[in-house]
Amino acid sequence: MTPAIPVPAEWPARFGDELYRFALSRVSDAAAAEELVQETFLSALASLATFRAEASERTWLFVILRRKIIDYYRRQARAPHIGLEALSDGDNASVADYFSPATGHWAGPQEPASWLRADAALEQQELHEILQRCQARLSPQQEAVFAMRFVEELSAEEICQELGLTSSNYWVIVHRAKLQLRRCLEKHGLGQN
Amino acid sequence: MLRLINCRHATLLLEQRQDPTLPRRERASLWLHLHICRYCKRYSQQTLLIAEWARASATARAQAGPALSEAAKERMRERLVAAG
Repeated sequence: MTPAIPVPAEWPARFGDELYRFALSRVSDAAAAEELVQETFLSALASLATFRAEASERTWLFVILRRKIIDYYRRQARAPHIGLEALSDGDNASVADYFSPATGHWAGPQEPASWLRADAALEQQELHEILQRCQARLSPQQEAVFAMRFVEELSAEEICQELGLTSSNYWVIVHRAKLQLRRCLEKHGLGQN
Repeated sequence: MLRLINCRHATLLLEQRQDPTLPRRERASLWLHLHICRYCKRYSQQTLLIAEWARASATARAQAGPALSEAAKERMRERLVAAG
């Protein structure tokens, strides 16, 4: 039975695994996930007075963790970025690579290939691993925006607010991230028919 | 009025169409483009799949990932006791 009054010292044993798995599904780094769980417990402890006994402790802790994850994305989006993508995939010049500068239509080799059989041919596990690898190849800002949009399913307005982006900047980032991710997935097996 | 747009514009509108404030004329241009461009049609299907997989992949990991180590749990417990 759930005790009526939360006992913070019991949280790690009762909720640690579940919160940690959730955090790890978002940040893909064990140390960062652990840190998020610890921060969640400490924030919860500090705001214990706001906990209402009729709510579930578990739900309450998850609300706090979700907030911590959004903060994590925000820090990620602000991280200075000097990565491989700057040389190959992710910078301003590269969107032009997808489309012909003259017409704005797909540049020949960039035309999306059919994936008709690809997702049936790949094991789900394998598909998820490829997707994760491709997400990790985005710039930190693109990666954060992509996760907020497509994993957390925040609205464009919320993401702009969290990351301090203008609406047009935001759309440029989402567009670019999606183009790059799609191409990466295709390179890693989805386009082979 | 229906306006012809290019693939660069169409792929951007594919993201923006989730946004309720996207004007009708832009939606109509996208609709027309998707009827005449098989690559963007394909892209529009793939872009939905990517969003679906991103969610499914995170959900799968949240359910089947590794447990928090006992050492970490003990560290956290001690901090909670010290802070409380």
